Amino acid sequence: MDIITEVAFSINNQLLTDISLLIHNEIIFVGLLIAAVLLGERRPKKIMKIISVMVFAVIIGIIIKMLIITERPCAGMELLYCPEDPSFPSLHALAAFSLMIAFLNKKSFILYMLFALFIVFTRLVLAVHGFVDIAASLAIAMIAYYITDRIWVRYYGD
Amino acid sequence: METRRQIFHILIGLTTIAFLFLFGRTITIVSIFITILLGLLVINQLYLGRKIHLIQWFISNFERKNVDFPGWGSACYATGVLLLCCFLADINEIAASILIIALGDGLATIIGKMGKISILYNKNKKIEGSAAFFIGSLTGYLFIGPLIIPAAAISMIVESMPINIDDNISLPITLIIFFLVI
Repeated sequence: MDIITEVAFSINNQLLTDISLLIHNEIIFVGLLIAAVLLGERRPKKIMKIISVMVFAVIIGIIIKMLIITERPCAGMELLYCPEDPSFPSLHALAAFSLMIAFLNKKSFILYMLFALFIVFTRLVLAVHGFVDIAASLAIAMIAYYITDRIWVRYYGD
Repeated sequence: METRRQIFHILIGLTTIAFLFLFGRTITIVSIFITILLGLLVINQLYLGRKIHLIQWFISNFERKNVDFPGWGSACYATGVLLLCCFLADINEIAASILIIALGDGLATIIGKMGKISILYNKNKKIEGSAAFFIGSLTGYLFIGPLIIPAAAISMIVESMPINIDDNISLPITLIIFFLVI
């Protein structure tokens, strides 16, 4: 476990752990993401583009997870919530960073950045991911946005 | 302008390698992660029309024209290096890859501009540039030994191909696949 994950995991706050466990639930997390998209964007075409970026980023993440098998920091700690699938990269972080980048040209970008940073912080608090998983997710999200944007502009215009 | 940009590109790469060996992989990843987030905040402010003098000076002196958004080149470079640091565990492999992206790609552009013979499959690239890329990349021998020869050759081919993806993205992906397969 890296030092950043260790520090985050050592925070002993029940409320933070409860919120982290709520976000850990995929259905709640997807609901949060959809709400965040709809709050920031009203145009159907743009909403579709943002969702496409997130889906594409997560698909890349799943493929990488299947190719690069890394153990989660929480493995062996006997924590009930600790998933059994590989750690690298973080799909939660991928979706949150993709959403953040999609709002790069908006005033609300800072809010989406704070949202993404909170999401990744909850992953570290639960020790389901290490910091490298999170950092890789930022890089993959940037590339996923770049590729999706290229394809989108080609087929649907700006 | 382009030569100045490439010299800066090379210097940043060499500085990153020095940082990597001085502070280790984890601190390098944290530093690049924070740099990208701060960079995105700056790009956001530029998008919103804010004038940041230092950044404006930097963009007018080192950024290519007709990019997707202000700071695009730097964002791609940092993303590529972060990708390398996260996917590769061996810092010698990371250093060799950064050297290929920084020195190889930088020299390819500087020498390629003066080149005369076009590559068969890409009229926009010159054979002299690709040769400079390969020779410049060979300095990675310092970190990974003879393995640099196939790494440099594959990177040179990818760099010279007519694909519509930034070199700072396509080269790290190529090198990650190469080192993971090897």
